[in-house]
Amino acid sequence: MAELLKIENLTLGFGEKVIFRNINVSEENGRFVALAGSNGRGKSTLLKTLAGLDSIYNPQSFNNPDSLQRSEKGSILYKGKAIAEYTKKEFSSLVSFVFPSGRRTNNLSVKDMLSIYCYYRTNWIGAPGEDEEKKISKALEQVGLSGFENRNSANLSDGEYQRITIAGALVQDSEIILLDEPTAFLDIANKFMITHLLKEIAHTSGKLIIFSTHDLQLAMDMCDRIWLMTESGFYSGEPETLMNDGTMDKMFNVPGLIFDKNIKSFTYDGGFKNNKRV
Amino acid sequence: MKRRSVYYIIFAAALVIFFAADLFLGSVDISVKDLFTTYIGKDILINFRLPKAIAALLCGIALGVCGLQMQTLFRNPLADPYILGVSSGAGLGVALYLMGMSWVGVSAEGTVFQSFGIAGSALAGAVLVTLLILYVSKKMEGNLSLLIFGVMIGFIAGALVNLLQYTSNAHALKTYVLWTMGSFAGLTTAQLLILAAIVITGIILSVRNIKDLNAILLGEDYAASLGLDVKKIRVRVLVSTTLLAGGVTAFCGPIGFLGIAVPHIARFIFKDANHRTLVPATILIGATITIFADTISQLPGSGTVIPINTVAALLGIPVILVILWKARKYSN
Repeated sequence: MAELLKIENLTLGFGEKVIFRNINVSEENGRFVALAGSNGRGKSTLLKTLAGLDSIYNPQSFNNPDSLQRSEKGSILYKGKAIAEYTKKEFSSLVSFVFPSGRRTNNLSVKDMLSIYCYYRTNWIGAPGEDEEKKISKALEQVGLSGFENRNSANLSDGEYQRITIAGALVQDSEIILLDEPTAFLDIANKFMITHLLKEIAHTSGKLIIFSTHDLQLAMDMCDRIWLMTESGFYSGEPETLMNDGTMDKMFNVPGLIFDKNIKSFTYDGGFKNNKRV
Repeated sequence: MKRRSVYYIIFAAALVIFFAADLFLGSVDISVKDLFTTYIGKDILINFRLPKAIAALLCGIALGVCGLQMQTLFRNPLADPYILGVSSGAGLGVALYLMGMSWVGVSAEGTVFQSFGIAGSALAGAVLVTLLILYVSKKMEGNLSLLIFGVMIGFIAGALVNLLQYTSNAHALKTYVLWTMGSFAGLTTAQLLILAAIVITGIILSVRNIKDLNAILLGEDYAASLGLDVKKIRVRVLVSTTLLAGGVTAFCGPIGFLGIAVPHIARFIFKDANHRTLVPATILIGATITIFADTISQLPGSGTVIPINTVAALLGIPVILVILWKARKYSN
């Protein structure tokens, strides 16, 4: 049996510019994975490429000798098959993508909004059947918003709305859920609640959940595995391993910024003035 | 009973009442009793008022649903049925027909060919513009760039029409200007049947778009991540809106404002963005308002008729202003 997700030698880029090379990692069901990396490193691009929203970047399609020499196109395989080998419908039941928070739809009831996520299982005018209604109620229960079916999505708080979008991914019922900074705009209580929720979903329903975040401490505490996109390359592993083998220290190349294992976070001594390298 | 059902019933009742009013309150001062009993009354009712009211009904249905789809597709509250240049294309077709006829010295004035010529050239112009837009939409990723492209096509068609107007004779010019003012009157039974067939087909296609339009509400990228083919959805919406807007423009001229205003009124009253609610709502509200506008345009009992576009603008513009006034809070 092939791995659920296997990425080999993947390159990320825009136009002629390669932004990241040699991503190699594979993941299995039931794992809760955090994707961390400094700004502009390509976290969103990686997630969108995994979700099939961006096609796999091919550096060789550009007349750029630099990228030709150093990068290859790479591949993403889900259960041994490339994204293009799945129909759109099949792929939608394999991978779902939760966009960054802060985007709203107006005046749509929560139930109507969630029934869009099971597009292929609703009738011709998009009304959910009995089974799908049950699935919607169950998803709302899982995210702690039971009975929200008839609420207007415009009147939800940011935290509630973000949980509804996660419920959407649950209604879509894919094996893999990718989330782009699901906690970026949320307060600390919502941040904890949503991260716990995602972990619980991964562990109880056997889904593979990958989310990008800037909160390393939370990722270290909660996740089974961490993907790190650093200047020196792509690393993946369990949080303990990454901390102990010194990989965390390579994450930022900023003098004076040091990873402290005790608090599982970075400390900064203002050392850029000394021009020291970590 | 749900609030939604109550509104449906209210608007259906209003539609029936306004339709009757449109028949009974014509520009000719004649009593309801005389309409049904005298020979001239029956003639006015069957040959003038009824076809006009049916044309208004069909146009109202078409424009509301068409505007709704455009606003959803482009996520733009000011999108209307003609935003992609359909009416400009139709206008160019009609201008070419009318002024082309005057150049070659042939006139179909006053014959049955004149109205079919206008309708045919308008439809041809609308379809050609849409084919161009469809071709472009396959190449373009985002709806916004398509929108800008469509608006530009409209400007080009408008400029060509200006050029034709500048070089044409006064008579052809007047016929063209009258066409642009829009009118529900003077449609033959055959024309009404064609219009009805076009509108019904367009509405059936629109109803089939409901599910996709709802998915677009989440955003194009979200719809794509749910496994939908966004470009295919765009084509489906464009085909149905072209039938609706093109059909109306061909037979009744470019009727503005209703297409923008009706979907907003529907959203405002029903407080729901779901197209399962909004499509029937825009059908009912569009028909009701258009019939109402038509009744006003014939200035009951006055003996004269003012252009429907003037009335539609006077009814529609305040709605657009209210929308802008309300949107001011969210614009930053």
